[in-house]
Amino acid sequence: MDQEFDVIVVGAGFGGPVAALICAQAGLKTLIIERSENVGDKVISGLTIPFYGFLFGPDFIRDGNPPIERPSDGIINYIIKDIEKGDIEIDDSLRVPKPFSPVFAFGYNTYCKPLCEWEVRKAVDAGAILKKSTTVIDVIKEEGCIKGVITDKGERIRSKIVIDAEGSKGLLAIKAGVREKYRPETISLADTYDYIMPKEDIDKIFGYTVKMCWGWDEQKIAPPLGYGNGLMVWPYRNSLHFMQDQCLKTNGGPVPNLNKLFKEYHKNITEKLPWWKNLVAPRVKLRARMWAGFEIYVGLNKKLRNMANHTDGMILIGDAAGLESTELCDGVPAAWFSAEIAANVAIEAIASNNTTKSFLAKYDRKIKNHPIIRWSISGRNRYNLRTAQKEHSFKKLRKYIHNGWGLGALTHFMTSFFKLLLLYAKNDPTIITKWIRMFFRYYQNWLYESYEYSMKREIKQITSKKLKRIEKKFTRYLRIMDSLLISLKKREKLLSVIVIPFSDSLNNIMKKSLPIFEPIYSFILKLLDRILNHFSIKVIKFTEYANPLIFQN
Amino acid sequence: MVKMFKEFPGVEWIKETGDFIKIDESKCIGCGYCLNVCLAECFEIVEKRARVKSLEKCMECASCWYVCPEDAIVFTWPLGGTGYKSDWG
Repeated sequence: MDQEFDVIVVGAGFGGPVAALICAQAGLKTLIIERSENVGDKVISGLTIPFYGFLFGPDFIRDGNPPIERPSDGIINYIIKDIEKGDIEIDDSLRVPKPFSPVFAFGYNTYCKPLCEWEVRKAVDAGAILKKSTTVIDVIKEEGCIKGVITDKGERIRSKIVIDAEGSKGLLAIKAGVREKYRPETISLADTYDYIMPKEDIDKIFGYTVKMCWGWDEQKIAPPLGYGNGLMVWPYRNSLHFMQDQCLKTNGGPVPNLNKLFKEYHKNITEKLPWWKNLVAPRVKLRARMWAGFEIYVGLNKKLRNMANHTDGMILIGDAAGLESTELCDGVPAAWFSAEIAANVAIEAIASNNTTKSFLAKYDRKIKNHPIIRWSISGRNRYNLRTAQKEHSFKKLRKYIHNGWGLGALTHFMTSFFKLLLLYAKNDPTIITKWIRMFFRYYQNWLYESYEYSMKREIKQITSKKLKRIEKKFTRYLRIMDSLLISLKKREKLLSVIVIPFSDSLNNIMKKSLPIFEPIYSFILKLLDRILNHFSIKVIKFTEYANPLIFQN
Repeated sequence: MVKMFKEFPGVEWIKETGDFIKIDESKCIGCGYCLNVCLAECFEIVEKRARVKSLEKCMECASCWYVCPEDAIVFTWPLGGTGYKSDWG
């Protein structure tokens, strides 16, 4: 292939196809190069993609029908004090409350392969060319500028810009002289098991919640907190994804025998953890075991965080740019955001015939100013678990878990979230109703397994006057909401004087008010449990039978 | 050619990967860190030096490359269309 392209995207994971699609839509001649035989063959994660990825990510994902395995409405944290005595504390404060749950999800659990395939098909439909089974081994560098890539077949494929979406190892960026190899202290190895389990059992035992376990090192249940990590179990449609992960090394510490330890932990978890042993073990069958490394703590190291993410003729996105989340260990939202930003900068650069480093620095500025990316690569709660372990302080353990995967997350997430929400709503006030429709559509898609490219079932249509009435109401309320939001947009003064300063101090407000607000909130939820449940069932029924067209954007 | 292993269900390995992990014996100090982190047991210690036993179960996680204190491990990607593949990641 001795052709010349406008843009070459290296890697068809989560970020690459997004960049390729946007470039192709802009009329650029775009090539995606993927080293595996089929898209998604080598993407190992097992994940919940947080809701903010879908809200602030590319429009085609928000407005589309991506394949999802199960919505997730919250996290149950099991804090293991003493496994032998069964002394386990539970923190399940981070949950979407009913009646919003489960239609309004906290995130969506997915297998990587179908989602990456879905993204790539969208990019190809938009005109991008996909070249599989091809490993990029180097870049073409001329007078310090990247002019394309060299493949393992010896091809030299030229382009105006290379978008590097290679993933966490960053081999191409190292070859290009842009970045260095990460230190082992920043890398986590994720040992993953995939189990088949009947859907009705998952519905009963897990519902829509992700389970996480945390324990002291010596109990060998959750991988050592000394290494800052834990154990997660995601419920999928007909399967469970189990992941234990830990860093390869701690600062100044030795490299542990992970091969031996992971086997030991897995045995202990499956034999000693009460809910696994009694509820899960009798109902599951192991389908796959795999593992992957990811750069969990790059964001916490100043030198690594500030490594370049672009050079003349080249932009790095997602994990290749070190954008893995330090707290949720989730790189997908940041991959989507950075891919979109990179593609738009690339389009501009090509249009102005300026692909120099100084022009592409625009990308870096946008990444650094992105509130969610900034928050996502700076959270220290997971890392701080090391301190709790070292001091054997249960108080600290409970605090960091609550702040990371409990309601305490609101004390450091709200400002970034609200800032971005305002920015999006300011540009397009109707985006709020688009988001609402997205949640309903995704839930309906999940119920019927009806995703684009793989329509599994026809959506049940019932004709009842009552349903038609509710559908009409739903559409009318959203329309009213749209006009209200549009009229609010005109009141810019209100926004700049009250709302924006309010969003800046939201984290602090939450920090101060949460200790008082949280017990009241939990009490009210308990008190109203039956009523909320009743409404929740009604919302689910409505979503199940409503005309899918009312949920389309 | 595709190969599977009982201890790692749900994963297939396509052969003809090329030598994508190499150890520079002159740099290796035989610390054994690569053995510690390799869940596929790709390495062995022979005469106080690590060497690649077999890459047939390697999942390309690059942990060996990250932990080597002497930078004796050279890690590249397998040739296009080869190496591990799974539908369940």
